[in-house]
Amino acid sequence: MTVPEPPGERLTYEAATARLEEIIKRLDSGEAGLRETLELCREGRTLVELCAAELEAVGRGLEELRLDDLVARLQAGAGD
Amino acid sequence: MIVGEKYSHKHRTEPPGSRQGPYGVGRYAAGLRDFLRERPRVQLFGEVWNLRLSRAKVYLELRDAEGALPCSIWRNDFDALRLGEGALADGAQVVVAGGLDYYAGSRTSSPSFTFAVSGLRVAGEGDLLAQLDRLRKTLDGEGLFALQKRLARRTLPRTIGVVTGESGKARDDVIAGLRRRGWQGRLVWAFAPVQDRHAAPRITAALQDLAATGEVDVIVVARGGGSLADLFCFCDETLCRTVALLGVPVIASVGHHTDRTLIDDVAALACSTPTHAAESAVPVHCAEARAEVLAVAGRLSVHARRALLHRAQALGRLSRAPGEHVAGERRRLHQRMREIRAAGRRRVEHERGRSRRKALVLDRKARAGAGDARGAAQLNALAMALAAHDPDRALERGYALVTDRDGEVVTSASAARATGDVRLRFGDGVVGATITDDDDRA
Repeated sequence: MTVPEPPGERLTYEAATARLEEIIKRLDSGEAGLRETLELCREGRTLVELCAAELEAVGRGLEELRLDDLVARLQAGAGD
Repeated sequence: MIVGEKYSHKHRTEPPGSRQGPYGVGRYAAGLRDFLRERPRVQLFGEVWNLRLSRAKVYLELRDAEGALPCSIWRNDFDALRLGEGALADGAQVVVAGGLDYYAGSRTSSPSFTFAVSGLRVAGEGDLLAQLDRLRKTLDGEGLFALQKRLARRTLPRTIGVVTGESGKARDDVIAGLRRRGWQGRLVWAFAPVQDRHAAPRITAALQDLAATGEVDVIVVARGGGSLADLFCFCDETLCRTVALLGVPVIASVGHHTDRTLIDDVAALACSTPTHAAESAVPVHCAEARAEVLAVAGRLSVHARRALLHRAQALGRLSRAPGEHVAGERRRLHQRMREIRAAGRRRVEHERGRSRRKALVLDRKARAGAGDARGAAQLNALAMALAAHDPDRALERGYALVTDRDGEVVTSASAARATGDVRLRFGDGVVGATITDDDDRA
């Protein structure tokens, strides 16, 4: 079972980690069958990749900018 | 009184032609001055703005979020307050006492309205707290304290907005808090004054602008410590209502916990220091989170390998199962066959013994049957012989048996004569007879 995700929104880090905890708990219980185990592992690997990507996004170095710069950047992006 | 009557009916819609007057304007202005001077004397609380000192009077405007009033105080009275250098400047919160006044002007001078201040003091904490308490109750009553707290806050925001003073120490503290979390995302500064009457509108605008970008996941409003008067801009009603209704979570760190401002109440979270606010904006420690994710990935791999191993073992068992099943069935069949053979042999032996016993019995019976037939024939013959010698059979054929009185058989004529009286036994009965000596045999 996967966490219901609002349409059009990416899964958040906290939702991904919460789901990962569920998956590990289920796998550790030993109650999952072979098919479910493999499906949970596959889903878990996807979530791990998502979490790693989120952590990577906040690990490349602090980027500081003023609000005006952000607004200008967004406007420039919208104009392209 | 002309002015009093007009004032009391100012909201009434009067039919055309019913208006009083016309009056001379000077007379009316004098009436207005008298009317205003008769109003009750009050104390007002607000922020000083446009302070101007002249030789005769000191002019200022008293403002708050809802309105303003022009005020004036005689210069002599002002100097007598001994407020000290810089104590009364634009932005200062003051309490003034006085009453309404109106300079009616003249043909050569302009009229003016003022609140004539007779006493003035810089607002103390008690005044501010009383005002704060009223506003706090109002906002709480409208449920505005709960709105921000219902917003979901991301544990790992990518972009953090910060509203703070550009030159304040809070800026460095925020960065220090984020570094402590190992967070190196995008930080958007929205600098704004954090003290005086200009602060609240600028902070409000900064918050709205940050939220409007749609890029920030959380906003930190940070300011270092100060007196409640210094922090009072963070109690501004418009600012607090804006924060309450903002769609982005706001973490407030204004002053310290002892100086709880209204923004602390309406924000999603209130922290005692900007460092703590920054740490709260990123609840997870990024380095630890990376280690945890790696650990989870490792555990998933272990589970996956174990599952595959189990599957392989299960498949191996399944592949061996048919042969083992056939061998087992073969063993069972052989055993059954042995059992059947043994049972057959036992049965044959049993039946053989039984047949022998039956044959023996039959033989005996057969022999016994043959003996009986011969005996019967002999018996019949004997019976027939006996019957042939049975005197009763002779009597039935007409013979008679002669006996004496004692029943002894008389077998000769001489015996009969000797006996005399005899008895004759016929087939159907016995009769007596007497023997005479006549011999008819001649």
